[in-house]
Amino acid sequence: MVKRGNWTRRELLRSSAVAAGSLVFSGAAGPLAFAAGSDTIRVGVIGCGGRGSEAAKNCVDSSPGVKIVALADAFGDRPQGVKKSFGVPDDRCFVGLDAYKQVLALPDVNLVILATPPGFRPIHLAEAIKQGKNVFMEKPVCVCPAGYKMVVEASEQAQQKGLAIVTGTQRRHQGVYVEAMKRIHDGAIGNIVSAQCYWNMGGLWVNKRQPGQGDVDWQIRNWLYFTWLSGDHICEQHVHNLDVVNWAFKDAQPVEVHGLGGRQYRTGPEYGNIFDHFGVEYTYPNDVKTISMCRQIEGTADNVSERVVGTKGVWRSEPGVIEGEKPWRYEGPSVDPYVQEHTDLIKSIRDGKPLNEGKRIADSTLCAIMGRESAYSRIRFQRSWFLGRCTLNLLPAEDLKLSDARPVPAVAVPGQYQLPGWVQEGRRGKRGA
Amino acid sequence: MSSQGNKGVSGTSAGVAGATVAAVLGQMAHAQGSDRIRVGMLGCGGRGNGAIQNCLDADPGVEIIALADLFESQAKGTRDRFMKNEKYKDRIKVNDDHIFSGFDCHEKIAKCEAELLLMATAPAFRGRQLMAAIKAGKHVFTEKPVGTDVAGCKEVMEASRLAKEKNLAIVAGTQRRHQAGYVETMKRIHDGAIGELVGGQCYWYGDGIWFHGVPEKVQMSELEWQVYNWYHFTWLSGDQICEQHIHNIDVMNWCFNGPPAKFTAVGGRQWRSSNPEQVKTAKEVCGKFNNGSEENWEKYNGDIWDHIYAEFEYPNGARCLSFSGHSPGSGRNGEKIVGTKGSSDCNRGITGENAWSFQGGGIDPMVQEHKDLIASIRSGKPLNEGQRVAESTLTAIAARMAACTGRTFTWKWLMGASKLELVPRDVKPGPGLFHKIATGRDELV
Repeated sequence: MVKRGNWTRRELLRSSAVAAGSLVFSGAAGPLAFAAGSDTIRVGVIGCGGRGSEAAKNCVDSSPGVKIVALADAFGDRPQGVKKSFGVPDDRCFVGLDAYKQVLALPDVNLVILATPPGFRPIHLAEAIKQGKNVFMEKPVCVCPAGYKMVVEASEQAQQKGLAIVTGTQRRHQGVYVEAMKRIHDGAIGNIVSAQCYWNMGGLWVNKRQPGQGDVDWQIRNWLYFTWLSGDHICEQHVHNLDVVNWAFKDAQPVEVHGLGGRQYRTGPEYGNIFDHFGVEYTYPNDVKTISMCRQIEGTADNVSERVVGTKGVWRSEPGVIEGEKPWRYEGPSVDPYVQEHTDLIKSIRDGKPLNEGKRIADSTLCAIMGRESAYSRIRFQRSWFLGRCTLNLLPAEDLKLSDARPVPAVAVPGQYQLPGWVQEGRRGKRGA
Repeated sequence: MSSQGNKGVSGTSAGVAGATVAAVLGQMAHAQGSDRIRVGMLGCGGRGNGAIQNCLDADPGVEIIALADLFESQAKGTRDRFMKNEKYKDRIKVNDDHIFSGFDCHEKIAKCEAELLLMATAPAFRGRQLMAAIKAGKHVFTEKPVGTDVAGCKEVMEASRLAKEKNLAIVAGTQRRHQAGYVETMKRIHDGAIGELVGGQCYWYGDGIWFHGVPEKVQMSELEWQVYNWYHFTWLSGDQICEQHIHNIDVMNWCFNGPPAKFTAVGGRQWRSSNPEQVKTAKEVCGKFNNGSEENWEKYNGDIWDHIYAEFEYPNGARCLSFSGHSPGSGRNGEKIVGTKGSSDCNRGITGENAWSFQGGGIDPMVQEHKDLIASIRSGKPLNEGQRVAESTLTAIAARMAACTGRTFTWKWLMGASKLELVPRDVKPGPGLFHKIATGRDELV
């Protein structure tokens, strides 16, 4: 979901100015590897909901010479706003669950924005890379280990083909984070011995089921609340914070996970089958343990932040400070990171040095998925087990239709929930105290 | 203790040995001219029976002279059990007029001639029971936790102050404080062996717990059944975080020499409500109290949660994880403390710059705690753990409150402003006291 910062008009203008400056430079100097004979970035938007529309705008705002030229969405009403804003002709607006294929088949499109519900992302990414498109994709990028593997493979292919993949974990493009991480990696807080991250907030939008609406139709309209579509809120939102903690560890991955969670307040049928809170312990190499907490319950205490603790100091994302032996406070410019990520993407394409964040975001998404599955089952497991042996596959069928029957899966109940692949190793969870 | 020749044995144990010598020299405040200690047991359930045995094992001078329980059958059953045991029967001297029952049994037993009372009733009543005992001039061994709400814990703190004035001992059943491995390791942690404390984790995650129906042979009202099945009602047990996990929380507080400054938590009840065996029993109980109707059985199914994930922020800024709950097939129990120079499991050793490992030694800490208590009484320097165990109980309660309300709050607020009181002042046989299961955004009281 979109978590917008409170950007003032002045900051937005300043960020546009920065973007313009970088364009003049790269536009004048760089050979354009992406589309011979033209320096225009021609963008197809796949998934025209709130985030897709915003991303399209961010992309156009980020750099001159960017044009939205094609749209796809599962529903006919969705692309209307974007279509109007960017003057996309009727015959370039595609509707349906396979509309993404039509956009990806257009030879003039050289960048696509993937912003459908995350459950579809692996399939869409694989097709985009196959069709030779550069990609901006929203987070998270998968909801199960099967999807994770598809994203990793597509990212490797992108590398071989010289295609860019940038993802909507915008903190990686935000000065206050980038500068802090540089220092953490340079040892400003010593060795990392602990970390905490949180996405505790109220509720989000709900699309209630309309009379006569089919299962798949309604679930996609109301996708936040179904694990197969959103990955649950730990995946859909909290991935931002988990990604930051991974970043602090130089993208070393946790080796073990143990989670708790449940659905205590938000229990109505309109909330599908996801939980409303999670608490997960991630154990990184050298037995460094971290706290992850996320909650979506209206009227509870907010906290969206990260904190990393080292032997020589502490970094806090709010307000962006290091305390300890080498105190530091971010004093750089405040640029809209939702625009900056597109600026960086397009510059990398134009410079012929495509960014590829695919594997990295897949790993961070996998952290969230592991936390979710551990909380659903309350089983403590190793990442190596999850990647090697867990057979969970929530990918939608190739021929999925909006009219398909698809009952809402049961809310996970520990002790009953089957973690696919765990059965034969069942007693591992007993390895206790 | 020293005869075991273990270098690793704790300073506490050494202190105890010294105290025992003092006792032999005859400085016994407790019972003039005798090394006999007369003991009364309040609460004759599973832990109560365990505590009696631990106390008898701790010192040959211990005699059990009074037994009290809400149910007379429990108290008599306990006497019978020990009377059948060759090892203990000579020291069980409980006359029929020293069997006390009913909701006021703590007042009755406080009037008997025992010098020491052991308490293992449901945690809800500990504050008032401890207060009655201290007012009556008894030394006390109290099981943990010592309350289920803020008011109850404050009463324990008050009773502890009074005990200090009256030179009475209060020792609590957080036995890690009397376990050689913990004591030795903690000494090093406090001496700076792992540097400044910057983080930590503690866990008590278990399989589940008994759920009692109404016993065939005992007549009981709804409320008495609730007390009999106390674990499953927050007002009686404080929930699992309070009832079990307090052990580990107490170790974290021990590391930091005091309670956390700030609390944030999430939690819920995800499987208990649908646990088939429990549901079956709850329906039977409903039928018994409602002329066979099982219509409103849910309230008999208990209201405690099955998981809480809490963050404690200590006064120095360190944030620690508390991880607790129950679900089938799970087990995890322990602590870890992290410093700038190393880390420790608080029990077996230290890793890092000052690596060290505990070489063993010490006896069953659940016996040791009684030894330490009795030695302290004999030496005329009674231990008083009341304030400390009340703080650890409140730490668990605070985590539960943070999870149940979705609010973040401070220790200062808790002590100064919270009005949480779950236990009625006047508890008597009659209709049950049922609460709705907490939602995660309940009002913060």
